[in-house]
Amino acid sequence: MTINAITDVEFGEELPAFEPDTSLPNVKQFAVAAGWDGPRFTDHEYARKEGLPGALVPGIMSQGFLSAMIHHWAPTAEVRSIDTIFRAPCVVDQPYFINGVVTDIDEDSGTVEIDLTVTNDAKETRVFGTARVIIPS
Amino acid sequence: MTDPTKPIDVEGLRAQFLNVVFDDYVMELEAEKLAAYAKSCGETAAKFIDPADSDFQAPPTIGSSLQPRTRYPEGFPKFKGLGMDAGKAVSPLKPMRAGEPITIRTHLHDIYTKSGRSGRMVFFVNRMEFLDTAGEILGSADTSVVIREKPQE
Repeated sequence: MTINAITDVEFGEELPAFEPDTSLPNVKQFAVAAGWDGPRFTDHEYARKEGLPGALVPGIMSQGFLSAMIHHWAPTAEVRSIDTIFRAPCVVDQPYFINGVVTDIDEDSGTVEIDLTVTNDAKETRVFGTARVIIPS
Repeated sequence: MTDPTKPIDVEGLRAQFLNVVFDDYVMELEAEKLAAYAKSCGETAAKFIDPADSDFQAPPTIGSSLQPRTRYPEGFPKFKGLGMDAGKAVSPLKPMRAGEPITIRTHLHDIYTKSGRSGRMVFFVNRMEFLDTAGEILGSADTSVVIREKPQE
């Protein structure tokens, strides 16, 4: 269900699952656009030589995935904050899933709080996040 | 380099460095890069991915990608070992738009500790604030770095 007004939001509601594009070409596009195009984000071989499991999805890109997921769910939402903790790296070309659940609603201010996670195929949480968004009434 | 056998003087660092702006510069965002940034994250709204849209603006998390020119204030001590990225928080207040001058102003916002069985961890939080030409704050982005102290024997 697409959210158009804060009265549509339910406490405990799960946001529609979102599987981000973590393919190497897409991460490269992001890294160049963000000015974070170091080889640890764009080159598997280089990253492995550094002892990493492969090229990494930049943490700030994970933040961008969280924002996109919120907008897919509530196109009129204005993100007021996203706070993220990078618990473990996300590796390029591996599948991840963005999950979100509504944890607080303040209809007077139009504010909704959402707990967010990025998990891998093994259901391990790689990134934790909390978002505060404004949704019009 | 500080003496790694002594605890970090958190109160001393707070008194000397907190809330003092140590970096300040002006930059402009580029429309095509903003659109590419937003598309690669999965945004689909025209206001984020189409530079021709009348409300075209940076995606809300853009602040996290911006960086100060220097990481810490002048005179800030160096600690043994690498600091680890402990997280990022971004708080957009107003849209940031391509081609508009944006001032990026950075200060050390907080220094705090957490203690556990493996010893004490010291967190350093840098805050960048983004301002328009009228001096209005468009948003902020925090970067936290943590240093783990060795347990005292």
